[in-house]
Amino acid sequence: MTPSEKKDKGSDAGWQGMDTTPIPLLETIRSRGRVWEDLAAQYGVTNPDPPWRVTLDATCDMLAGDSCVLPSDQVAAGSCVLPVLERRAEEDDLSATIYADVPFPERQLLALAHSLIRRGLIGEEELARRMKEVHERLTSA
Amino acid sequence: MSEQHKPAPMVDEVSDFEVLEMAVRELAIEKGLFSAEDHRRWTEYVHSLGPLPAARLVAKAWLDPEYKKLAVTDGVKASLQVGVDWINSPPTGFGTPSDYCALRVLEDTPKLKHVVVCTLCSCYPRPILGQSPEWYRTPNYRRRLVRWPRQVLAEFGLQLAPDVEIRVADSNQKTRYIVLPVRPAGTEGWTEERLAEIVTRDCLIGVAVPKPGVTANAKRPVHPAVHPVHHGH
Repeated sequence: MTPSEKKDKGSDAGWQGMDTTPIPLLETIRSRGRVWEDLAAQYGVTNPDPPWRVTLDATCDMLAGDSCVLPSDQVAAGSCVLPVLERRAEEDDLSATIYADVPFPERQLLALAHSLIRRGLIGEEELARRMKEVHERLTSA
Repeated sequence: MSEQHKPAPMVDEVSDFEVLEMAVRELAIEKGLFSAEDHRRWTEYVHSLGPLPAARLVAKAWLDPEYKKLAVTDGVKASLQVGVDWINSPPTGFGTPSDYCALRVLEDTPKLKHVVVCTLCSCYPRPILGQSPEWYRTPNYRRRLVRWPRQVLAEFGLQLAPDVEIRVADSNQKTRYIVLPVRPAGTEGWTEERLAEIVTRDCLIGVAVPKPGVTANAKRPVHPAVHPVHHGH
């Protein structure tokens, strides 16, 4: 694919493919986390998607950087944190490998976190710390 | 509390995935990757989307030949009449990220069936059709539809006669598609609202055709790709 064929203006370095080596924190979530289809069945909820699916999509859109606020041909190279096309290609790779047994949209979420960690945009340890804080907050009532 | 006023069931536990989504979002905001305000506005916008406007567009086109002409020649302009402004409605003011502002309405005939895919990722006309279904995103659907459209449509339960031509429309960053299916027999005299009820999301993607009495999408099994492509390898 030539740069002009790309759907988004990506990072300066260009997309090099996804490292599908498992990330310990995400592996723990993958193996331990309860997916929406199980929770919905247990609690008798009919909504096919978890409430966080829309906020996840919004996060993905926001990470598309300038492509959220400018037409494609005006987006400067390197201005997108995580271009849509690259994120989706990485999600495809991860969905076919280490997250193959995870349903959607949990798979999309794990893939996004994986991409962000591999790109150094967030750290695995800080994510673990933040998850602990968030969990304590959500269960403190 | 009476039976009628029982609260709707809800999930009464915090899952690791819910926590992960929130933690990722909070860190991204703290690192300045996007603002909380932009995220909130975008989330509100996405919450407002669904397939009803596209269904109304089709129903209106079935009833009004002039509107049908407009729909197939200028989908963006036709969308205005069903309440979707591709350019100004999204918080960006120019369309959705990577969805952009070009909608093409593909008109089926008894001898021509359109079906929509995004072979590269999962481009979808979100402003008028809402969120894409899971199967639409899968490499299995994306790769096989362009190779064996007749067989894939048959897997969806849509058996087409051999003399019906199938055209696959591949979405891209500038153009999104919806299908304007043939109005089915047995709907004579129906109102626009009643017609819109049978134009399901799957009909608008092109993997189903409208039928009186069918107002919901069938649950689809999702299959992995047999030969996953590893990008960059």
